[in-house]
Amino acid sequence: MTFEGKYYNGQSSKGMPAQIALLADGLRIDYCADEVTGSVHWELAGIHRSEFNDATTLLRYGKFPQQSISVVDKRFKEALQQQYRGAAFLKSGYNNVLSLGLSGIAFIALSLLGLLVSFLIWGVPALADRVAMHFPQSYERTLGKQLYTKMLQGYQVDEEKTAALNAYLSELETDLDYPITAAVVKSDEVNAFAIPGGYVVVYEGILDNMEQHEELAALMGHELAHIQNRHSLRAMTRSLSYYMLASVLFGDVSGVAAVLVDNASALRNLEYSRSLELEADREGMELLRRNELNPQGVILLMERLQMGSESEMLAFLSTHPNTGERMKVLNELIGEEKQPYKKNQELERHWERLRED
Amino acid sequence: MTTTLLEKEKQITHFSFTGRGSEYFVIEIVNLLLTVLTLGLYYPWAKAKSLQYLYRKTELAGTPFVFHGTGKEMFIGFIKGLGVFIALYAILMYGVLSEDVTTLLITYGVFILGFVALVPMALHGMMRYRTSRTSWRGIHLGYRGELSDMYSTYLIGFFLTILTFGIYGSWFVVKLRKQMIDNVRFGNVSLRYVGDGGDLFLIHVKGYLFSIFTLGIYLFWYTKNLLHFYVNNIVVLQADGTYSRLQCQVSGWEVLKLTVGNILIVVFTLGLGIPLTTTRTMSLIMNNTVMSGHFDADALVQTEEAYDSATYESMTDMMDIGVI
Repeated sequence: MTFEGKYYNGQSSKGMPAQIALLADGLRIDYCADEVTGSVHWELAGIHRSEFNDATTLLRYGKFPQQSISVVDKRFKEALQQQYRGAAFLKSGYNNVLSLGLSGIAFIALSLLGLLVSFLIWGVPALADRVAMHFPQSYERTLGKQLYTKMLQGYQVDEEKTAALNAYLSELETDLDYPITAAVVKSDEVNAFAIPGGYVVVYEGILDNMEQHEELAALMGHELAHIQNRHSLRAMTRSLSYYMLASVLFGDVSGVAAVLVDNASALRNLEYSRSLELEADREGMELLRRNELNPQGVILLMERLQMGSESEMLAFLSTHPNTGERMKVLNELIGEEKQPYKKNQELERHWERLRED
Repeated sequence: MTTTLLEKEKQITHFSFTGRGSEYFVIEIVNLLLTVLTLGLYYPWAKAKSLQYLYRKTELAGTPFVFHGTGKEMFIGFIKGLGVFIALYAILMYGVLSEDVTTLLITYGVFILGFVALVPMALHGMMRYRTSRTSWRGIHLGYRGELSDMYSTYLIGFFLTILTFGIYGSWFVVKLRKQMIDNVRFGNVSLRYVGDGGDLFLIHVKGYLFSIFTLGIYLFWYTKNLLHFYVNNIVVLQADGTYSRLQCQVSGWEVLKLTVGNILIVVFTLGLGIPLTTTRTMSLIMNNTVMSGHFDADALVQTEEAYDSATYESMTDMMDIGVI
């Protein structure tokens, strides 16, 4: 069987009309242009791999400068496949995938998309968590101290109440890896938050809303759990890793620097995931138990915050979703059985100092 | 002189792009999958494969180009490039960790100068690699530029641009293009870049002003003007003294449709559709570009010798200097 095509000898760009015959051990090409006629034999082993052909089949042969032929005839491609099945120059994984057809390709694309999405949903947070948990504690302290100092600059610190709160905290029996430094700032906002490395900021507004010191103990238990379990660091690495991913994709590295510089305000607005909040609630309860305080303190705190007048900015609640659900979980934790609890004179003394205007 | 060319003697040789978005999409999907599974090691092979496809589907006078680069070559270049980058960053890290201001300043200086010095080498290497690995009808392209010329062109232009607060930038870009394009050989055919820095400067001034006044809409026409400036100033000289000129006929409106379409594709496919934007862009540019004048497609003669080294290709790739 012979086919008509063009032969290029590797020396000139002139395409010479040629007859191409498929022989058992290779191709024979008889070309003829003007006065020049000739014949070459291509061994199968010397033919270069030929991919991505369309109506035109392009074959190249030998060392530099390569000879080549181009055949505009679909039957040539089929004849090659039949005659030289399995030959190296016809093998192409890419061509195999290309011939899968629409459904096969759609399947590959969709599974890749699924892989991508699951990596974004599960892979990134898991990786970020690992990074956060391996972050050295001394660095965390340094970072936290910087953030804490920076954040307090925007507020007026109530020195007396701060002293009382710190005294209250040192009286509490905790099981923390971090020394705790707390500050009370003058603001009507009902809010409190934890900073990595053992720093807590409490707004006067939230203290004014409380009536019993067990509520404060519950609040502190919650915030200290955030610190102990590195929740803010984990949330930060999470959002930062998404940001870094986006900046790698869109080639904007300066954005990451901006986030790092601006992380103080980012921290204030951090939303922990639901599971992290529930974890902090649970461990906060544990703190009440360890100190033999009334576990109802945590419920009182929730109710108090929820009942606060509508006009008040309940910042603490707005970043902590599902108060109702949290109360349900907490009530289940407290359970039916009577927990032994008693009054703690020392804590109440500090509490009174905190309540003074 | 262009004026001596008589209108009746002019002939048109077409470029075309026959690649299909769906095909290129499949190739890139396979590439992505293999690159992810090999933790990135497959990247050079993936890159070679996409270039092989894009070249194979780009035709001049009905014959496709061939890309001869291999994944192995690109892998070696990739490793070498990575080595240079790691070395530069190691120097900088040493400065940062020394906590000594003088050491930090010196290492920072070395780091910056290292990058400045890398760019000409990367451009030179990329031209050499890309041209030597490209053939058409069996005739290889080649690059005859000297690295020292590239350095002098680049460093002089770089500092003049800084000294003139960027105004010299347009002339700098043209000088660089001349250095790159004038040294390309296509068998016994050579290329000339005849653009003028002043024209480019005017395009930029007009582009900035109009884009501001039209709230950015003019950006597409600005892009079109730049494209025309870069392409239409390339002259193709044949051994017998005849020549032809590249002509890109893409309009601002087409650039607008292309850009908006590409953005929509990328956004709605979460980036998976990027291969489609590549083929769309290639189609628009190649199918609207012709060579006008005398071009005898049969008269090219091989002039290149066998080739080597892929180092510089991946260096430009990693620094992301979009030259071509």
